[in-house]
Amino acid sequence: MSADSLGALGLSIRVAVFATLLNALLGIPLAYLLARRAFRGRALVDLLVTLPLVLPPTVTGYYLIVLLGRRGWLGAPVYAWTGWSVAFTWYAAVIAATVMALPLLVRTARAAIEPVDRELEKAAFTLGRSEWRTALEVTLPLARNGIVAGMVLAFARALGEFGATLMLAGNIPGKTTTVPLAIYTAVQTGEMGEAVLLVVALTILSCVVLMVAGRLGARAT
Amino acid sequence: MSHRLSVEITKRLPEFTLDVAWSAGDGVAVLFGPSGAGKTLTLQCLAGLIRPDTGRIVVDDRVLFDSATGVDLRPQHRRVGYVFQGYALFPHLTVGQNVAFGLRDRPRAERLARAAEVMERLGLGGLEHRRPGELSGGQRQRVALGRALAIDPALLLLDEPLSALDAPLRRSLRDELRAILRGWGTAAVLVTHDFTEAYQLADRIVIYQGGRVIQSAPRAELLWQPASEAVARIMGLRNVLHGRVVKAMPDRIQISWRGLMLEAVNSPTRSYLPPPDSPIAFFIRPEYVRLIRKDRGAPDAAHHMNLMRGRIVGESDFGTVWSLRLRLDAPGSPSQGDFDLEVEVPRLVYEILEIERDRHWEFSIHRGSIHVLPT
Repeated sequence: MSADSLGALGLSIRVAVFATLLNALLGIPLAYLLARRAFRGRALVDLLVTLPLVLPPTVTGYYLIVLLGRRGWLGAPVYAWTGWSVAFTWYAAVIAATVMALPLLVRTARAAIEPVDRELEKAAFTLGRSEWRTALEVTLPLARNGIVAGMVLAFARALGEFGATLMLAGNIPGKTTTVPLAIYTAVQTGEMGEAVLLVVALTILSCVVLMVAGRLGARAT
Repeated sequence: MSHRLSVEITKRLPEFTLDVAWSAGDGVAVLFGPSGAGKTLTLQCLAGLIRPDTGRIVVDDRVLFDSATGVDLRPQHRRVGYVFQGYALFPHLTVGQNVAFGLRDRPRAERLARAAEVMERLGLGGLEHRRPGELSGGQRQRVALGRALAIDPALLLLDEPLSALDAPLRRSLRDELRAILRGWGTAAVLVTHDFTEAYQLADRIVIYQGGRVIQSAPRAELLWQPASEAVARIMGLRNVLHGRVVKAMPDRIQISWRGLMLEAVNSPTRSYLPPPDSPIAFFIRPEYVRLIRKDRGAPDAAHHMNLMRGRIVGESDFGTVWSLRLRLDAPGSPSQGDFDLEVEVPRLVYEILEIERDRHWEFSIHRGSIHVLPT
């Protein structure tokens, strides 16, 4: 395997790990709020989080450029202040992968939180626990299997992200070229040997993730 | 009696309005009534899990809720133990962790000591490392009680604590629960829709119907002096009958019913003096109706009070007793569908008197066994 391919593999893993962590940080609280709280704008939040699941990834990527690009709503002020833009950096790949994977985690975790018996939460309240502590000690541990499954799906999705990553992070060898992009490039330039190596590597990695997730799930029940 | 607990709340829901006021002293107050009468809703208001629209809740001079002054303690700060229907034990924690769950604020050593003490007193020793899923119904109930009692609550709430169990276990656990509640001496409010359970566990019974309290009384008083026909019916009393007043005196009351003149003792504590010819409801306990043996005369004239004659038109075998449905010989339509009076006789009596063969009998009812129900 070439140095570029190895670099792409390393980058892909790094992007997927960070995207999964970000997903957990954002997605688990979001899933909890959507499952347990009635707040204004809940339907809108639900819609926005789910949208990347149904939109073509390039459309999601386009919105990310509109938001975070050098001339974007958020990107422009940041660029004016610091002279730096997140676009075309490996952070952009993380953001793209996070947004694309979020609906999978949120929907799976939410489906696991919703059926947790509310009487258990009420019992925790009468025993002195705040809602925050109750979520940490009762609700989320009981929804653990679903949350773990959601994180596995999110990791797999982040690992395979292509369209939105290409839009926001580009395809800069050694910098933002993740494995799916590298495979595309290799096929385009006729380097079939490299393409096959990366395809096999990504397949093996995905199998390992699924097996580990299966073990975790089995232990939790 | 000092009032340890006083409750006065209203709560309007889309299809239901709760509007109750009652108080209780030491011991166990049982909220009794049909499903959907607002009993569990009251418990949730007491625990702070639901906020009443208006009212006031005071436990041992501590105001938990007062809409007038804006007091509304959060459930975390009420020190109210709650035993949920189905127990709501934390399935991912061990028995020990469940019991110690409410003790988080205390130092570790104290927490462990308290949890161990509670488990010991409730006979849960040796089960601390089990999970709720591995326990029997009775053990689960004790864990739920232990978890609520461990925090040394000012008030203990129990929602249908025996309904998750099957019948034989239910009976033995009723006795056990009674012993635990008496032993710990914590003021408790228990919800049930089973009158036997209510009577056995209660010091005071509060009867709910349609979001209101229709009677609140010490249990013995309730048994003999239901406040109204509605209370008698909710208690499941049989032979709730309607007649007309002939003459009411402070100690006696004469009632005309099915062409008979019945004489009843008027209530000793609240003599009820309705004018003649007004409608009146009363009940006769089936086990207090006397069957007159044909082979023996009455010892004296007063022995066969309120004498009547009738035919057995239906019967049910309850094992230890037979329930007979009696239709009076007097003309006119029967007062309870196709019969007038339900009479209960012990199995032995049923067999000795050969009631299976002999269907026509004389009955008498002592005036003290006819209970007048004020309207």
